[in-house]
Amino acid sequence: MPEEEGGSLIHVSIKAEPLFHIGPFEFTNSMVGALLASLALLLAAWYFSRRAALVPGRMQSLIEMPVDWMTSIVAGSSTRWRGYAALILGFFLMILIANWIGLLPGVGTVGLLHEDHGEITLVPFIRPASADLNFTLGLAMVAFVVFVWWGVRINGVGGYLKELVGEPRYMAPLMFPIHLISELSRLISLSMRLFGNVFAGEVLLATMVALAPILVPAAFLGLEAVFGFVQALVFSLLAMTYITLAIAEHHAGGHGHEGEHEENPDIQQHPSDAAAVNV
Amino acid sequence: MEGNIAAGLAIGLGAIGPGIGLGIAVSKAMEALGRNPDAAGQIFVPYILGIALTEAIGIYALVIGLLLIFVA
Repeated sequence: MPEEEGGSLIHVSIKAEPLFHIGPFEFTNSMVGALLASLALLLAAWYFSRRAALVPGRMQSLIEMPVDWMTSIVAGSSTRWRGYAALILGFFLMILIANWIGLLPGVGTVGLLHEDHGEITLVPFIRPASADLNFTLGLAMVAFVVFVWWGVRINGVGGYLKELVGEPRYMAPLMFPIHLISELSRLISLSMRLFGNVFAGEVLLATMVALAPILVPAAFLGLEAVFGFVQALVFSLLAMTYITLAIAEHHAGGHGHEGEHEENPDIQQHPSDAAAVNV
Repeated sequence: MEGNIAAGLAIGLGAIGPGIGLGIAVSKAMEALGRNPDAAGQIFVPYILGIALTEAIGIYALVIGLLLIFVA
């Protein structure tokens, strides 16, 4: 299609393209991105834990910096932070690396030409994992299961259901579906936010490269690097907040004074945390 | 064709609300920071959460736009 030359240059598929099939199982290019991200994280973890020194060297402090920083944020959220700190850190690092893989040269641009109904499109070998709804929905489902599990663990099944039913019991027929939908909408908004941001970033970069190939995309690459970091932070902080809410709902439910005592050192803790977080 | 127009309208109109909301959120955060620069660490996390929740509405518009172009 000669008149659509610019269009095919900007083409970014909304779903991950399959590279090859293993039986009925489709291996897509976003899986390559996810595997690369987890491989990079595993290698970094293995390498730096093997030669971890008590007094960290340059590289070690660079690697420990985001971990320290996130841990200080998670530690300020509730008294039970040790139970979920590893998960939040895992979310943060995995999404961060998965986002930033999309900014590497060759990702999304090197691939095979694929002809479909007379239209030639490029199927890249690597696609950033978080530009695939399956990946972000998977992460959001993990977060969902974990915060429901924490709610059930702290308040019991009855307590959790009581939270869903709401306070004036006669309003239950109205409030129960609303609460249920608001729980489920967390799942959708978590996954859609990450997917939408990263996918829109990919489309933006592709458009900018097509419009002005020299120098201009560099500015947008910098912007996308910041967005990738912010979105990783947003996802992990929201997951953390949902878990904290699930834990704290018990205290709001009026079982009273013991809960307030548990909360207090938490609030006292904040100024010292602020000093650690302050950058 | 109608899908493209609808998608443009969806994201354009859908960006108005979050744009105003983000402006308010950021201005208030900056105001708080100006009043008390030491509170930067305490403001940071609620600030990020607030702008994330505001931005989610814009993302919904984006998703609708994407659906209109790619699915419908």
